Amino acid sequence: MTQVTPRSLDTFTLASEPGNERLALARVAGTVKDLGLSDARLERLKTAVAEATMNAIEHGNGNRPEIPVEVEVTQDGDEVVVAITDQGGRIHPDTDEHEAPDLVRKLDGDQSPRGWGLFLIRNMVDAMDVTTDGQRHTIWLTMRTGGAAHDERM
Amino acid sequence: MTSACEATTRALPGAAVIELSGEVDGSAAAVLTDAYERAVTAGADSHDTVVLDFAAVDYINSTGIALIVSVLARARAERRKVVASGLSPHYREIFDITRLSDFIELFPDLDRAVSQLTHPAA
Repeated sequence: MTQVTPRSLDTFTLASEPGNERLALARVAGTVKDLGLSDARLERLKTAVAEATMNAIEHGNGNRPEIPVEVEVTQDGDEVVVAITDQGGRIHPDTDEHEAPDLVRKLDGDQSPRGWGLFLIRNMVDAMDVTTDGQRHTIWLTMRTGGAAHDERM
Repeated sequence: MTSACEATTRALPGAAVIELSGEVDGSAAAVLTDAYERAVTAGADSHDTVVLDFAAVDYINSTGIALIVSVLARARAERRKVVASGLSPHYREIFDITRLSDFIELFPDLDRAVSQLTHPAA
């Protein structure tokens, strides 16, 4: 069996300012555009990257612009992996929020209208993992390329 | 926070239309709330239905979804129906997985939504 070495495609940082998730989304989309993701799966990855970056900016780095969010895009065989790292350590309310969003409860006022971020991420990508190393908190978003063979809900 | 979302409103017989453009995120709260207020109070009609048109929207995030949930909750409390038009396939999928589409009827475009609302038997 041939061992494929993961290949780093791009690494960059962003200031932790609200709205900068759009920069991450656009840059990652440009990086992976030729890797064989269908349009639908590229849109899903873009949403997941934006949501994970928003969480990193807001919950991880507390909207402090001087603390960067790190983004790395790697190709590993037929997978593209986007790693988004903040300095929030284990103090990550959204990640630790176990209550799944329930639209009926939200409409009845029993649950905040917010809280969709992780739910969206989990539903957008093929795999989502979270690791914490000291202060470094990383969310790993994995999407298989060549999407026609995989889950196409569209 | 400055919003990159704009909203225009107009009244139809029985329905209030809110045409959104730009980005629907957390910064759009005031824009959306004001538009809803304007739309449902315009004219003498009771506006039993609110149409949200997303044809010119290029970005919706989780905080934007939360705003849409809030609008839907308010409309339901006021016994108004909410429908949506012009969503891209990606955002239609998001309306499906969040179950918003269980409560908001989706139309491909505003013309078809308006046609259905003003000529329901057609």
